[in-house]
Amino acid sequence: MNDRIILDNVSRFYGEVLGVNRVTLSVPPGITSLVGPNGSGKTTLMNLITGLVRPTRGSIQVLGISPSDPERLFRVCAYATQFDSFPRGMTGFQFVYSYLRLSGMSHDDCERTTAFAIGRVNLGEAAHRKIAGYSKGMRQRIKLAQAIAHDPRVLVLDEPLNGLDPLVRAETIALFREFAAEGRHVIVSSHILHEVDTISDQVILLSNGYVVAEGKIHGVREEMSEHPMQVIIRCTRANVLASRVFEQDHVVEVRLHADGGGLLVKTRDADRFYRALNHLALDGVGIESVAPADDNVNSLYEYLIGGEESTR
Amino acid sequence: MNQEVSIGQWLSQIGLVIRLEMRKTFFSRRGLWVYLLALAPVLIFLGHSLSEINNRKERQALNAAHPVSTAALRSIQRGSTIEEVVEKVGEPFAKNGFRRRDFVVDIYEYTDGENVFGFGFRNNRLENINERDRDTIPKDSLVFAGVFQFFFLRLAIFFGCVGVFTNLFRGEMLDKSLHFYLLTPIRREILTVGKYLAGLIATVVIFCTSTFLQLFALSLHFTGSEISEYLAGPGWGHVAAYLGVTAAACLGYGSVFLVAGLLFKNPIIPAATVLVWEGMNIFLPAALKKVSVIFYLQSLSPVVAPPDANMPALQKLLVTAAEPVAPVWAVLGLLTLTVVVLAIAARKARTLEINYSTD
Repeated sequence: MNDRIILDNVSRFYGEVLGVNRVTLSVPPGITSLVGPNGSGKTTLMNLITGLVRPTRGSIQVLGISPSDPERLFRVCAYATQFDSFPRGMTGFQFVYSYLRLSGMSHDDCERTTAFAIGRVNLGEAAHRKIAGYSKGMRQRIKLAQAIAHDPRVLVLDEPLNGLDPLVRAETIALFREFAAEGRHVIVSSHILHEVDTISDQVILLSNGYVVAEGKIHGVREEMSEHPMQVIIRCTRANVLASRVFEQDHVVEVRLHADGGGLLVKTRDADRFYRALNHLALDGVGIESVAPADDNVNSLYEYLIGGEESTR
Repeated sequence: MNQEVSIGQWLSQIGLVIRLEMRKTFFSRRGLWVYLLALAPVLIFLGHSLSEINNRKERQALNAAHPVSTAALRSIQRGSTIEEVVEKVGEPFAKNGFRRRDFVVDIYEYTDGENVFGFGFRNNRLENINERDRDTIPKDSLVFAGVFQFFFLRLAIFFGCVGVFTNLFRGEMLDKSLHFYLLTPIRREILTVGKYLAGLIATVVIFCTSTFLQLFALSLHFTGSEISEYLAGPGWGHVAAYLGVTAAACLGYGSVFLVAGLLFKNPIIPAATVLVWEGMNIFLPAALKKVSVIFYLQSLSPVVAPPDANMPALQKLLVTAAEPVAPVWAVLGLLTLTVVVLAIAARKARTLEINYSTD
């Protein structure tokens, strides 16, 4: 079972606040999504797996290695956190390079590997610029470059698609698939169920610190198709995009933002919506950001996990 | 990637952590006041030297206008009249005085170009002779010892180390960037040692440079021959000892405040506690005295500066030296204390968690 990530009856409390409770999981290789609303325990679970926090109870093994042994763990594992802060004054290249140097690589290997990793996330041109001047999407990508640089067998990524535009999002998802196809673990968290639906082999649904569902994605997807999803898009020509989006038969409602710089879309088919959005982005509509409307995500979770909570 | 971990790799990781930390430690905005603390005594001694140089020039000009030899001035006896004194050494460069109902006081001031002599007459009879010698190296070395032990060690280096070492971990928690290290394949103990050494190098460079500049600034008003004579005697030994004590202070206080940064969110609390603990060292039983950095530093200081008689009681309490131990025991004691405190820091770092929201 050394190719699995195993959590055995793991609980973590922050004082009297529950982080996660009685989590028992055996995660096989592939893309695994941790899904749940804000505060459901996704980040705590990832922090536990990577040793950034310690379990109050229970034990964790990552490919047979305890998270309390970072020297061994981070030779096979990498974690791109949600923390949007970096060591001061570093360029993207230095950020990845110094990580690899600390991992024990020689200078020449580090330079080569850093350039390769940064190239994989298409950040080559900005590599020697200070991270402080990066956009949100670029910061996400440099974190990803650092995480993949030493070719880990376990990739843990906290909300990795946040802030990425549709094209980069598609490239990043392709990268995850590539990793998973090589028999590695890719653990991704998201509060956007539709987002991870498109990429996951298995999904773990969390609510209030408990695992409320786990398994293959298809069952969850069937339930989701019954429930319209709301997406907020910020863009330069919102009225043009609104008319183009509304031509899609799965879009049930489009509302322009008062400032004219964005729109709210309701769709019954997230898959098709995101594919259509990618085409629109390629056609030159300046899309700045895409994000789900939280209220709807929360209501979706209530819809999905309501039965589980009542049995707990 | 190579799974083998060797001591060589640990050393290499320590070196890399030092390199990564060094820039942050030397050029941190949060640490600007450390430079000010280090610079303050240099400015004090520079000001003193410039003032002394100026005074000497003035005395020499006065002596040129009112020439008189040291021997002549020292030959003046109490009981002489003003006329006898003036006849012997000429007119003074300054006359002062005051008159009361039943007596008259006259003060005549002379200089031989180096020292100032004040003759105090009461009803035309010389009663007081006040010779104000110019500063000499032995005199200034006592002043230096006082400033070094009472201000530099106990305040400047102490709070400088608070600023540098508590920030090594706590500062990164505030910046939310500590996870960068905690997600690398590096033992937490190695990280602790690397960060400590980075802080140590930074503080040793900053404060040893300050010590050297203080000595240099203080020497500016002495002549070349005076300095050569001093260096040929105990001078170089004193310089080396002061630099050594400065480095030892950074070593000891650094370890204490590294662990404080790991254990406490607010560095003021441990800093105040350690300051009081160090201050009450003299009252502690022999065994507890040894659990203090200042105990070893005072034992290593080359010149003992006794507390000033006019010093306030609380300040005297803080600066009074405990009984010294032999230098070799002082060095061994300080090293042992440092290693023990670092071991506590490494143990704490091993279970360190990232929870930025509460930090």
